[in-house]
Amino acid sequence: MSVMDKLDLTRAWLALLGLSVLSTVAAAAISAGFDARVAGVIVMALALMKARLILSQYLGLADAPSWRRGFNAALIVFVLIALGLYLIPSP
Amino acid sequence: MSDQSQPSLLDELPGDLLIWVLIISELLVFGAGLAAFLAMRMTDPAGFAEAQSHLHRTGAALNTVVLITSGYLAALAPRYRMGTRRRAARIALISSALLGAVFLVIKGIEYADKAAQGISFETHDFFMFYYLLTGFHAAHVIAGIVVLLLVAWRDSVDNIEMGAAFWHMVDLIWVLLFPIIYLLA
Repeated sequence: MSVMDKLDLTRAWLALLGLSVLSTVAAAAISAGFDARVAGVIVMALALMKARLILSQYLGLADAPSWRRGFNAALIVFVLIALGLYLIPSP
Repeated sequence: MSDQSQPSLLDELPGDLLIWVLIISELLVFGAGLAAFLAMRMTDPAGFAEAQSHLHRTGAALNTVVLITSGYLAALAPRYRMGTRRRAARIALISSALLGAVFLVIKGIEYADKAAQGISFETHDFFMFYYLLTGFHAAHVIAGIVVLLLVAWRDSVDNIEMGAAFWHMVDLIWVLLFPIIYLLA
């Protein structure tokens, strides 16, 4: 394993940890009275970023750009459906 | 005329095709389950919010860190093995499996806490989906731990790549499941 390879993985891991902390902060903001719809959009955007990182760095799709684009498109569709279902009942 | 045809799209995929068929299938199953959960939530948003307030977000957030770190170790393993660092690959796989066990312990504490509160499958639709989705995911974690230990034992590069890919699928499902079940208020 090259030094760069390990560095890329370590960066991805640290980014995933950072994104997870931000998700928890966004959820805590909801509890503190922040607009749940805005926080929900932020939480799902962060989840999308985490999923993309796992696919590209952990699962190696960074070296398979066509597949990475396909998975990213499917993930974006899923997150949009989830957000649509989440936001509809909001007041 | 040359026999050397263009590499197919399938050749571009890292690892074995079968593991990708499994990953896509599992993502579709969990995606459908999570969409059904959110659709059911539309019928009773207040009840779902109240039920969700009984969840332990900190424990679940900690489990995210545990699983992401476990995934990092599993991702290192095939790279170590390809670089002929066989022992390092095995240590990475076993450490990854141990973190998987930590995930299950935290999940077990969470389930025990719910049981102590008298919360079961039938308490509310929210909890039916909660137990179904997190339980099904936990079953994948158990399977993943077995797979990681197996490939640490039978440690060819192909085996390790496939085992690590299975584990990343478990990781991937969790990062989508966690915010929807635990965080979307």
